[in-house]
Amino acid sequence: MDATLREALAARFPAVDLDQDVLLVPAADHYPLAALLKEQGYTLYVTVAASHHPGPEGDAFEVATVLRRPVRGAPSVAWRVVLGADPHLQSLYPLFPGADLQEREQLDLVGVRFDGHPNPVRLMLSEDWVGHPLRKDYAPNMPHAPWR
Amino acid sequence: MDPIFQPFRDDPHYPLDRYEAAADLMLLNMGPQHPSTHGVFRLKLVLDGEIIVKAVPYMGYLHRGVEKMVEGLTFAQMTPIFNKHDYVSPMTNEQAYAVAVETALGIEVPRRARYIRTILAEIQRIASHLLWLSTFTLDMGGVIGGGAAMMMYNFREREDIFDLFEAVTGSRFHYNTHCIGGQRHDLPEGWVQRVRAFLDRQERAFDEYLRLIRNDIFDLRTKGVGVMSADLALGLGITGPNLRASGVDFDMRRDAPFHAYDEVEVRVAVAQGCDAYARYEVRMAEMRESVRILRLLLDQLPEGPICGSKPVKMANAVRVPDGRGYTAIEGPRGEIGTWLIGGGEDKGAKPFRLKIRPPSLHAMAAMSYLLPGHTVSDVVVVLGSLDPIMGEVDR
Amino acid sequence: MILDNPYLHALIVGLPLLAVALTVAGFGVFYERRFAAWIQLRRGPVWVGPQGIFQIVADALKMFQKEDLVPASADQAIFKLASWFPMFLALSLLAVVPMGAVEAEDGSWTAAWAVSSLDVGILWPLALGGLMVFPLWAAGWSSNNKYSLLSGMRMVAQGISYEIPMVLTAMVPVILAGSLSLDDIVTYQMNHGWFAVWPPGPGLVAFVIFFLTSLAEADRVPFDIPEAESEIVGGITIEYSGIRMGLFVLTEYAHTFVAAALTATLFLGGPHMPFSVGPAWMGVVWLLGKTLFLFFVIYWIRWTWLRYRADQLMDLAWRWLVPVSLGLVMLSAVWVQLMEGK
Repeated sequence: MDATLREALAARFPAVDLDQDVLLVPAADHYPLAALLKEQGYTLYVTVAASHHPGPEGDAFEVATVLRRPVRGAPSVAWRVVLGADPHLQSLYPLFPGADLQEREQLDLVGVRFDGHPNPVRLMLSEDWVGHPLRKDYAPNMPHAPWR
Repeated sequence: MDPIFQPFRDDPHYPLDRYEAAADLMLLNMGPQHPSTHGVFRLKLVLDGEIIVKAVPYMGYLHRGVEKMVEGLTFAQMTPIFNKHDYVSPMTNEQAYAVAVETALGIEVPRRARYIRTILAEIQRIASHLLWLSTFTLDMGGVIGGGAAMMMYNFREREDIFDLFEAVTGSRFHYNTHCIGGQRHDLPEGWVQRVRAFLDRQERAFDEYLRLIRNDIFDLRTKGVGVMSADLALGLGITGPNLRASGVDFDMRRDAPFHAYDEVEVRVAVAQGCDAYARYEVRMAEMRESVRILRLLLDQLPEGPICGSKPVKMANAVRVPDGRGYTAIEGPRGEIGTWLIGGGEDKGAKPFRLKIRPPSLHAMAAMSYLLPGHTVSDVVVVLGSLDPIMGEVDR
Repeated sequence: MILDNPYLHALIVGLPLLAVALTVAGFGVFYERRFAAWIQLRRGPVWVGPQGIFQIVADALKMFQKEDLVPASADQAIFKLASWFPMFLALSLLAVVPMGAVEAEDGSWTAAWAVSSLDVGILWPLALGGLMVFPLWAAGWSSNNKYSLLSGMRMVAQGISYEIPMVLTAMVPVILAGSLSLDDIVTYQMNHGWFAVWPPGPGLVAFVIFFLTSLAEADRVPFDIPEAESEIVGGITIEYSGIRMGLFVLTEYAHTFVAAALTATLFLGGPHMPFSVGPAWMGVVWLLGKTLFLFFVIYWIRWTWLRYRADQLMDLAWRWLVPVSLGLVMLSAVWVQLMEGK
C-alpha cells in the first residue's frame, strides 16, 4: 500500500487498522471504501468472497472484496466486512458492473444479500433450490426440491 | 450501430418496455444445447428481427460444487480437483492453487521447480490459445467449413503438447504434477530437446494458420464486433488477453512476477482495437511471445532439487493456520485467483473456505454489455473472442 | 425415329440422367468427405467398402431406418411435403442441359441430347431455382422452431437477393449467343469459343459472378448463412430426422451438382472441348468432367473459408454484384452490336 493511498485511507477511515494484510472494515464503510479506492486508481474489480463462520454466539458472515490497480507492481487492496446472523451489505454494482454476477454467486452459495443489487436471484443453482450450500450447517444430503 | 441500442449497451438491466413500442420482439434461447456455447451455457436473447436488443446470460449448468467439495479434502488431495474446473488449462490452475497454499505457509519453492512451472505454464498457454483459435474459427466458419480445417491444424500442435506433458507427468490432460512446495515430476531425459523441436514446428505452424484463415471475410466478421471499452473491462473485472485487447497494458507475468517470470523479460502484447479482432491479435501475439519466453527459459534452466527441503508427502501434513489472503497468477484467460481462509477441519488440514476467482465468469458478464445492437451471427463471434470455459465459469 | 416422341425421349434420356445425377450427388457426399479429410489432415471415411466408397450406402441405410419424427406442434402436412419438394426442383433443373455434341459434315458443331430442348431453355432453371425458396421457407416456417424460422428468413432474403445478379449474369450468354435456348447457347460456344474466355472481359466476370451466386443459391460456404450450424444450429433442417433429413442433405449435393453443371453449360462450353471431342457420347464425359471440377472448387472453398454475416451478404449482393452484372449486360450488348457491325 503506497503512502498517498495510506494517507487518504487514514484520513477517511480512521477506525481501520491499515497494517493488516486484509483490512477489517465496518459494514457502513464498505461502499465508501470501494468508492475511494476506485478514485485512487484501483479500478480492476478482482473478486468478492463471502464465507460463513458459525460460532458460539451465533452465525457470523464475512464478505471479502479485492480491488487492484492495473499498473506495474499490481498493487491490490483486500478488505473484509464481518456481518451478523442476517447478513446484508451494500452492493458495489453502481461502482463496478462486474459485481452483478459475482455478488449473485455469493448470494446463491453463501446467502449474503446485497442491498441495491439490480437482479438479486440465484446464479449457479436452480431458482427453487433450498438453502445455501457453502454455509457450514448445510448438509450435502439435505433434501431439496425434486428434479422436474 | 443504431443509437436506440445504446442504453441497452450501457446498462443490461435497462427495462425492455422502453424499446420502440411498435417493435415485434422475439425471445430466443441460445443454449443450453447449442454447438457454439463452449460448454453448457444459456443466453436469453431478445431479438428484433435478427438484431439483439437484450442478452441475458444464464450459467450453472456445469456447477459441480468445487468450493464445497474442497472443504472436505486435505490440501494434498485437492490438486486433482483444481485441474478439472478449467479443463483447457489444467496446468495453470494447479499452479494457482499451489501458489496460494505456498504463499499462505510461506514455503520457498526451489529455483528449478519454479522454472519447470514457468515452462509448463507457457506451453499450457500455447495449448489453450490454440484451442481458443480453433473454437473461434469454428464459430465463424462452422463445423462444416473453414473453421473445422483450422481446428484440425491446431489440434495437430495440441497433440504434440499433450505428448510433451505426458512425458513429464505421465498423463495427457489432468496432470496432478504440482505439490505444495515444488514439483512431483522432474523433466525426463531429452525432454528439453523435444520442446525445442516442438517450438520450431509451432513457429512454422503460426504462418500456416495465418495463410488459412486471414482473408477479407475474417476481417469483416471480427472488426468492430463486440467493442469493449477499457473502463468497462476493468469494472467487470476482465483480465488477461481480453483486458489487453482493450488497450490496458497489464500482465501479471510482468507486473507481479510469480514462478520464474522475474528472471525473463516478458513482452506484453497490447492492442487498442477493443473489438474481437483486437482480442485475436493479442492472443496470436501472446502465442509467439510464449515461444520466445520458452526458448529463454530452456536456455537458462538451472539444475537442483525440484521440491522444497521438507517435501510434503503425508496427506495431512500440510496445515494452513487460521488466516486469510488472496493470491493470483496469470493464466491463459486472465487472473486465476484464490481466496483462502485457513484453519478448517482437522486443525487446518482442510481449508475453511476456498474461493476460486475464475477469469471466465468475469468475461461472461461482458456478454450482456457487448451484444445489444449486433446480429445473431455476431453472438458466436463475441462469445468466441472472449474465450470462456464453462467448467471454470460454473465450477 | 423413336426419339421424336417427346415423352419417350424424356424417358429414355431423362431416366439415365436422373440416375447419374442422384448417384453423383450421393457419391458427392463421399467425395467431399474424403476431400475435406485430405485438406484437414484426417483420413475420412475408409472402412465401408474399398477406401470407404460405400459409405453413402451405409449412411442411406441408417437414414432409412431412423424413426420419422414430426414435432407435435409442427404444421404436419407442410412439414412433410416440404422435405420432398427441393429434391424435385433441384433435379428438374437438369432437364434442359444439352449433354452431347454432334459434328456436322462441314465441321460445325451442334449441341444435342437435352432431355427437353426448350426454346426458352435458360428461363427454366432460373425459374425453378427461384421456386426453390418456397419449399425451404415452408420447411423453416412449418417446423415451429425459432432457429428454423430465422433460417427461413435468411433463406428468403438471400434467395431473392442473389436471384437478381444470377439472372443478370445469365443474360450475358443469352445476349452473346442471341438465343434463350441452352442448345443454341452451347452450339454458339462450340463454334465461337467458350464465354468464359471469349469475348475477353465480360464473359469471365459474368462466369465468376454466376458461379458465386449459384453458390449462394445452393447455400454453400461462404454463403451458407441459412444453415449456419454454429449460429442457428443447422437452420431449416433442425427438426427433421431420418430420411427427411437425408433428403435435405442429398438435395444440397444435388443442387450443388446441378449448379455446377449449369455454370459449365453456360460459360464453359458444356460438352465441348477445344480439341476434338470424339464420338457424341464423349460430350457427356466432358460435361461431367467440367461439372466435377467446379464441384471440387466449391468444396475447396467450402472447407477453407469462413462464412459471411447475413447483412454483409446482402451488402455484397446489392452493392457489388447487382451493379457489376448490370454493367456486364450492357457491355455484352455493346460487344454484340460492334461485332455485328463488322
